[in-house]
Amino acid sequence: MLMVEGLLILACLIPAFHFADGTWPAITASGLFTFNIGLFLTVSFHGAHRITDKRLAYLLVVIMWVVLSLFGTLPYLSTGATTSFANALFESTSGITSTGATIFSAVEWLPASILLWRSMTQWIGGFGIVLLVLALVPSMGINKYSLYTAEASGADNTGKQTTSMGATVRHTLGVYILLTCFFILVLWKSGLHIWDAVNITFTNISSGGFSIYNNSLEHLTHTQQYITAAIMLLSGINFSMLYYFLTLDWKRLRNKFDQLICYLTTFLIGAVFAILALALKMGYSWADAVRCGIVQTISVLTTTGSLVADTSQWWVPITFLFVVLSLCGGMAGATTGGLKTMRVLILIRNVRKILRDRLHPRSVNPVRLNRKPVSEDIITNVMVIFMVYAAVTFVGIMLLMLSGINATESIGAAIACITSYGPGLGTSGGFGCYADFTTSGKIICTLLMLLGRLECLTLIILFVPKFWSRG
Amino acid sequence: MPIHTKIEEWPAERLGLRRFNFRLIARLTGILLIYMAISMVLPLAVSLFYRDGAQFAIVISGTTILILGLFLRNFVGRNATFDLKETESYWFTAFIWLAIPFCGTIPYLFSGTIGSFTDAVFESVSGFTTTGSSILSKPENLPESLLVYRSFTQWIGGMGFMLFVVAILRKLGVGGEQLYEAEFSGTRQRKLHPHLSKSVTRLFTIYSILTFTMMVLLLVSGTSVFESLCLSFSTVSTGGFVPHSMGLISLSNGSLSVVTVFMILSGISLAQLYYLFTFKWRQYSRDEELWSYLGIFVLVSLVSTIAFTTVGNDFRTSLRYSIFHIASSMSSCGFYIPQPQHWSFLVSVLTFLLILMGASAGSTGGGIKILRVITLYKYISNYFTRMIHPNAVTCVKVNQKVVEEDYINKIFAFVFLYIAFILIGAFILTLCGCTIPDSICMAAANISNLGPSPLINSLGGSLDYSTLPQIAKWALSTLMVAGRIELFAIIAIVSPAYWKR
Repeated sequence: MLMVEGLLILACLIPAFHFADGTWPAITASGLFTFNIGLFLTVSFHGAHRITDKRLAYLLVVIMWVVLSLFGTLPYLSTGATTSFANALFESTSGITSTGATIFSAVEWLPASILLWRSMTQWIGGFGIVLLVLALVPSMGINKYSLYTAEASGADNTGKQTTSMGATVRHTLGVYILLTCFFILVLWKSGLHIWDAVNITFTNISSGGFSIYNNSLEHLTHTQQYITAAIMLLSGINFSMLYYFLTLDWKRLRNKFDQLICYLTTFLIGAVFAILALALKMGYSWADAVRCGIVQTISVLTTTGSLVADTSQWWVPITFLFVVLSLCGGMAGATTGGLKTMRVLILIRNVRKILRDRLHPRSVNPVRLNRKPVSEDIITNVMVIFMVYAAVTFVGIMLLMLSGINATESIGAAIACITSYGPGLGTSGGFGCYADFTTSGKIICTLLMLLGRLECLTLIILFVPKFWSRG
Repeated sequence: MPIHTKIEEWPAERLGLRRFNFRLIARLTGILLIYMAISMVLPLAVSLFYRDGAQFAIVISGTTILILGLFLRNFVGRNATFDLKETESYWFTAFIWLAIPFCGTIPYLFSGTIGSFTDAVFESVSGFTTTGSSILSKPENLPESLLVYRSFTQWIGGMGFMLFVVAILRKLGVGGEQLYEAEFSGTRQRKLHPHLSKSVTRLFTIYSILTFTMMVLLLVSGTSVFESLCLSFSTVSTGGFVPHSMGLISLSNGSLSVVTVFMILSGISLAQLYYLFTFKWRQYSRDEELWSYLGIFVLVSLVSTIAFTTVGNDFRTSLRYSIFHIASSMSSCGFYIPQPQHWSFLVSVLTFLLILMGASAGSTGGGIKILRVITLYKYISNYFTRMIHPNAVTCVKVNQKVVEEDYINKIFAFVFLYIAFILIGAFILTLCGCTIPDSICMAAANISNLGPSPLINSLGGSLDYSTLPQIAKWALSTLMVAGRIELFAIIAIVSPAYWKR
């Protein structure tokens, strides 16, 4: 993995040379360094046996993300884009976790290679998430937890699962790259400079949200904004679903219909409210309200964090609604953060089940998803994740407040980081940035991003004493 | 009894509501109203004693409530069958929580002390749900009798109407158990006596003794009769109405400590208190909830004292304030005394946590309840163990009893709903122009039946609910009721599943 990262850093040399911005020695050095370490690690662990212990799997995943974030700081530090390590770490983690929160108040000043690197980290991160979910979930101790994976049925015998896993990864990767190329082309055709097109596609397809302009999407024409919205909307949809869509496999597509409908409904509700509020309360013209409302709601729901306007100036209820929407997030198996549509659906349907149970104590009321009953294990897992998520968010807000940030901003920043949305409320929201946060605040945010990305449990489990004890 | 023929006469059948035993619900509500009317004697006495001029208003409103009650009991509810199904008990819960607070507004409106209907409903709901949020910015301008009435509504609400019903109507068959459980939030309260009505009577006795003791102690420590009456009503019920706009500033140190002790006591399950008073040591030495409650209280008070001291207050003030404040927040009383000079954010955050967590299950306090929190905590840590060792056979025990999956699931769903309600409530409040932290705190404080909280103050908001727009007041009133009847009943009657045959 580090090797890949090293190569990607080297890829940033292209713009560095192209724009001749004088950062190439630094970039080369960090690229080569990462590449070498990656090579070294791969060689030295070549003979290592397969991962059989679950604990090792958890540890590996966490280490992978932490190490990626750490090495991701090299380009920032070596080019002098930022001098403080906390800043670099924040930016790098924000990239890798596809959060999109930035500490750069004026991104236009950064060298082109760094900008590309930022976008690129998100692009890798975005894919890493899908991979992570696919790879990790079966090892979460629940083989039945194949809701995420495409082949929902018959994942029982292990041999079959490995093959289908490999196929799924290939499909997903294919879709991801295909979409990226497609949208770069579309944006380019719509009159955008190829440089902008590449960056925007990279950051939006991964639901990241870094921008190469201070005013994010406001920089683009209206058509281009809608195209970006389409990218984001797609990035919030389960990738295997997109694959089935592309291969016209309707039967399998229908297997995930529930989530899709819920996802789109949530989007519609949010968008309608945002449009109405913008038009009636904020004095936008209807055309502007529709555009901003739709694009921004998509950006929030998929936890991308690209901005069509300075949302920190928007009416408070809209921003609050956005916070809640970002907590819901997009579909599982996509690049988005948040709780994921599927979990929200299960949570709601579980409430309904309990009501029915109480009203008709002798009836059997399974929680159904896509017309199939959901097993107890999954419900419990969803519930535990929800509780831990809520608790972590709360602790995050608390710590941020203690680090000297006011209440509104703490709430905004904590939720924006844990859901990997990006822009918070107040100064960290809208076109603002996290530069004014204290160092401890930045570190807390960085941690929250990682926690959110790894769905809390994976990271927290490392701190359970039993994890390290034998037996 | 030829009951079935009787029920079919009722037009409700034509409305498709035959399933509901409307008559019984009406009858029970009627009886409650009659008792409520009788209880108006107390404010009347206060009024006559203090000559505050509100006696006519009270008499008139008492009579109105009495007539309403008689109408419901003897006309609508005549020939009711004494059989309450699960479905109906939800309906009953909801109906009663509509009817009583609405009737509770009558004295405010008739006496002209609160002009607008919305305000009166807010105040009345806040009373009966033992919340203690008030739209009165200067309560001392009210006649004494109405202040006593205000606190008395909390006292009634604290004991729970349902318990009254159960205690009074011994005839009640199967439905009674459900009401008992509905009142105690489905947290599996042990019954104190195999006979439901007897255990209710015991709870009621404890409650009354507690109130009476507190009143006497307050009197001894030098509080006026009027204040000790009001305060003991609103402390034991964890309500928090204060007859003075400056909070408890006028109380002596002795009285303040009495209030503190009783706040802590009222956060404990009534059943546990019963064991305490009857010296059944074993019953409560094994109770995890009780010890967690006390443990958390001591721990958080200490942390908060340290927090206050480090920001520059002197130790004595910090300690005194911390203990009072934490007791008030944990038991969901919501009393406040003047804050120390320097406020600490750590305390705000801890307070918010405590507000959400709330008091013990089976007490008059609100919140998610400690029992649920303990269960969740244990379950989640067990879940981690299972993640590491997927084949391990483990179980979660609370109070020496294994917790079933089904029960856990209910708790999870409850907490989910709780958070959802807070978010929805906060959203409505932001629509009314409050800032986001204020909205969240207000929603949380009201759904947990805490009422006024220095927390809101410390974040820059105001304790005064009178300036809120009408929609916000209605939203908060709904939240209070939702929190008091623990959400499921509200969700139940608005869910389509409930209306299906």
